[in-house]
Amino acid sequence: MKRREFLKASLASTALAAASSGPLMLTARAADPLKVGILIPLSGPAGLFGPSSQNCAQLAVDEVNAAGGILGRMIEPVYVDVGVPPAEASQAALKLWKGGGAEAFIGMHDSAVRGALTNLFKGQVPYVYTPVYEGGECSPGTYVLGETPAQQLEPVIPWIASEKGASKWYLIGNDYNWPRDTNAAAKGYIADSGGEVVGEEYLPFTADNFDSNLAKIKDSGANAVLITLVGGASVGFNRAFASFGLADSVTRLGTLIEENTLAGIGAENSKNLFSSAGYFGSIETAAAKEFADRYFAKFGADAAALNALGQSCYDGVLLLNAIAAKAGSLDAAAMDAASEGTSYEGPRGMATMKDRHVSKDIYLAEADGVAFKVVQTFSDVAPGNNCG
Amino acid sequence: MELIATYGLNFLYAAATLGLIVLGLAVVFGLLGVMNMAHGEFVALGAYSALIVQQAGLPFVFAVPLALGFCAVIGWLVEWSIIRHLYRRPFDTLLATWGLAILMRKGIEVAFGREYKSIDQALPGTVNLLGVDYPAYRILLMALIAALFILLFVWYQRSNTGSRIKAMVQNPELAAAVGIDTARLSRYTFIFGVSSAGFAGVLLSPLVRVEPYMGLDYLLSSFFILVVGGLGTLEGIMIGSGVIGGTDAIISAVFDKTAGYMGVLVISILFLWLRPDGIYARR
Repeated sequence: MKRREFLKASLASTALAAASSGPLMLTARAADPLKVGILIPLSGPAGLFGPSSQNCAQLAVDEVNAAGGILGRMIEPVYVDVGVPPAEASQAALKLWKGGGAEAFIGMHDSAVRGALTNLFKGQVPYVYTPVYEGGECSPGTYVLGETPAQQLEPVIPWIASEKGASKWYLIGNDYNWPRDTNAAAKGYIADSGGEVVGEEYLPFTADNFDSNLAKIKDSGANAVLITLVGGASVGFNRAFASFGLADSVTRLGTLIEENTLAGIGAENSKNLFSSAGYFGSIETAAAKEFADRYFAKFGADAAALNALGQSCYDGVLLLNAIAAKAGSLDAAAMDAASEGTSYEGPRGMATMKDRHVSKDIYLAEADGVAFKVVQTFSDVAPGNNCG
Repeated sequence: MELIATYGLNFLYAAATLGLIVLGLAVVFGLLGVMNMAHGEFVALGAYSALIVQQAGLPFVFAVPLALGFCAVIGWLVEWSIIRHLYRRPFDTLLATWGLAILMRKGIEVAFGREYKSIDQALPGTVNLLGVDYPAYRILLMALIAALFILLFVWYQRSNTGSRIKAMVQNPELAAAVGIDTARLSRYTFIFGVSSAGFAGVLLSPLVRVEPYMGLDYLLSSFFILVVGGLGTLEGIMIGSGVIGGTDAIISAVFDKTAGYMGVLVISILFLWLRPDGIYARR
């Protein structure tokens, strides 16, 4: 018995050693391709963002490869559908990491999946998390690119207060951690701007009738609404909001109203609607315009519309490249040591890593029909305190 | 006072639109015993008909004949190919129509994409009613639905076809024996059911989100209404819509939306448990 167990154990450890030394040997031979797992929702409720995410990631991969790849190695992207429950997403990532030899991951998915992945990776493999999120991720080896509530609201709420006269805010969102954490941050900024919160409400994802909420908003005397409803709920709410004639007197601000959501809201319902994000398809800077030109030249004029979530995958590849270049290695520990202060320039502007988050430009856009018009740019906005 | 008037109008609107949505399912499920899981997809088909008409630059009303035509053709095909073999096998109809629902959702996705679409309101703006600024289109919609239900009620009570349907529902063998073509009658009943779902989709399309998966919402609330109201009668539909719409509206107004949704679930469970035939059952 003992002997057999010993044999088993030694066999297993040899296998493990072989498996873990594999990537190291690959790194030594610079010409080998670098497998990067790109985790995006290709199915499920967020599947809407699959095509734009994949296009943007592929565009970045092709451009980085054309410029010589990451540390001289060509990126070989492997797209994995993470529009599935966290346990399944984690299984798929494990397979790609241990079995498929992926040496880095870039993810555009919800926080539940991120929680499962940081638990799985435990800082042993570099992982770039790209979408807008609630803040507070502090795991080693996890590099967060997305906008935090601090970035989307700290400069924006005072602007809305002074330019639009917003003083009585109603907070409405879906019932999960991103809206709740966003609103918790918002309350501080609203108080600082001299305003008050006159109502706060969280809706289940199944809600498709918003009449009682609209009656309460009207009754509360609110002159501004902060919307953290997502996807279809945001579409339904904003349509009903405008049909009741509230759009003229009440300013709306959303932190996840991107191009697809706005298209669903419709031109006749989008008056006095603002959105705050790190990217819009219509940003007028030279870098953003050139990016959009390259995107549509590559994928055709009718390609999936550019939006902040999809575009974040492009920046994810740029950030991975920048950190690896600064560290001179793809080793997780070396990258973690080098990450602080890494900067790169992309379609969103200049971004600099701080506490594994990035400080960057934030754009406030006003809906003009079904298009966004950037009305204010806030430069180099800090991500707030996410580790404490 | 203004708030109470708003809640009152909201309740009437919710009950009316729920009644319109559930009508098609009530006909197909209540009269034919077919659990049509693709009911919501026929509603979606109606909404996309409105989109086609809008993209072609035609007036909104053209969407009605287009949707009725679409749904009738697909309903006829589905009844002929699948449903007619499954009458009196409710569980099999559930599985078959669930498959159909997936196929229709994917079909819409292929034709129109995953993106949200926006249908313009045929009658934008608000009207002052009972001291409340209420959306004009909603008021028109409520009047239309009320007229539709009255017409349908009278027709079902008075017409020959109505009597034949009742005979078929109560005893199909006997109905066939006295010369009623039950196969044809069932087919037309099914087509009427899915077409009315499409009609509901057209009317609601300017007010709701339009995307390939929109149908799922309507299926669930429709089943709740049938559980409460009971199968097989128009009265049951109206009572069920009132109870479900009212529960959601009142509890959401007093507490919040989550409590309102929970109230609907609790009521549905209580009915399934204590009164499985609903308030106004046929038998």
